[in-house]
Amino acid sequence: MKRLIASAEMTTGPFFPREFAQGANDLTVLDGKKSVGEVIEIIGRVTELDGTPLDNLILEIWQADAAGRFDNPEFLGWGRAATDANGVFLFKTIKPGVSEGRAPHVNFLLLYSGLMRQLQTVMFFEDGPDPVLDAVQPRSLRRKLISQKKGNIWTFDICLRGEGETPFFGD
Amino acid sequence: MAYQVVPRDPHTQSDGVVPGYAQTARRWPSQPLQRRPHGAAELGAPRGLERRLPLLRGDLAGRGAKRALGQLIHLRARVVDEDGAPLAGALVEVWHCNAAGKYIHANDSHDAPPDPNFYGAARMLTGDSGLVELRTIKPGAYPVPDAGGWWRPPHVHFSVWGRVWLARLVTQMFFPGEPLNESDAILNAVRDPEARARCIARLAPTAQGPANALAYEYQLVVRGRKAAPGMP
Repeated sequence: MKRLIASAEMTTGPFFPREFAQGANDLTVLDGKKSVGEVIEIIGRVTELDGTPLDNLILEIWQADAAGRFDNPEFLGWGRAATDANGVFLFKTIKPGVSEGRAPHVNFLLLYSGLMRQLQTVMFFEDGPDPVLDAVQPRSLRRKLISQKKGNIWTFDICLRGEGETPFFGD
Repeated sequence: MAYQVVPRDPHTQSDGVVPGYAQTARRWPSQPLQRRPHGAAELGAPRGLERRLPLLRGDLAGRGAKRALGQLIHLRARVVDEDGAPLAGALVEVWHCNAAGKYIHANDSHDAPPDPNFYGAARMLTGDSGLVELRTIKPGAYPVPDAGGWWRPPHVHFSVWGRVWLARLVTQMFFPGEPLNESDAILNAVRDPEARARCIARLAPTAQGPANALAYEYQLVVRGRKAAPGMP
């Protein structure tokens, strides 16, 4: 069979429709039913070079359920949020469980004007061991992927470029 | 059969930092991108995503007599993977500006009129053959602010979910024969001319199309393929 080549990715541009991001950042309710597990919030601020916050940047997340399952039809495991004018995003979700040799984690995908391709990163709740966290080189960057807990709120700031830059995956 | 996602061919993809597009140098990471092993997270995907992202319109060109201004077009976009296998039931988002080059977005400061009969965004599911069809109008060109005379050619934004998390695709579709295609910083950030050509839709023969609209055909290829038999 003749292989096709994947389409070239391109930026979302500055005008990603507001209505596309509305109401999709709460993963704890699906079809009016509450999902099982510990409810947490994930908040963070997304910045570019020089620490400037980014407005209307789109973040999509993908995670396991409380039992570590990625295929639970009662918990979709997927959400989308947009940053506000201060660069801040918020997800309400269930704390993911341990899955298949993986530490609890949340997969992030970022889309924005000026990002020619999607950027992917991973948020962890504590330091490893985890095969994805352990793959990050140099080691000193791994701490950038570990979120900070305060009550039921986990903070995960993302810096696209410059000092304190977040490691991203290009696979 | 197992599914796999292999690294992108950089030649067929845009560079991260693009000359003439100033924001890219403030946003694309300066460090090389990391590699990771692929497991249940990377090769899994939410099923029934439309339960989180409800379907939204299948027609952007207005209702009844209240038609959007501009050239009526009929888009036929097919979603396939690298094996050429169509994706049935895949979610597709489409958005673009109106015929005058104005988006429905508070941040668009372009001095062009809004069109009250134009709807700028749709969300649909592909059918069994991987196809979505959308009636809309051909978007206009518009100038990029503070970019030295850079005008975006007419284009349509697509956002598509593939079979796995790593197969997410967000891209733009261009129209054939547009002179601004030659100078667009975004389209020309793809260095391989064949890959660039695949970003341009094909005008379907007018004798076969709808009587009142031009039909354009486009193919979206999401990442991912079946693993060859015998591979671990």
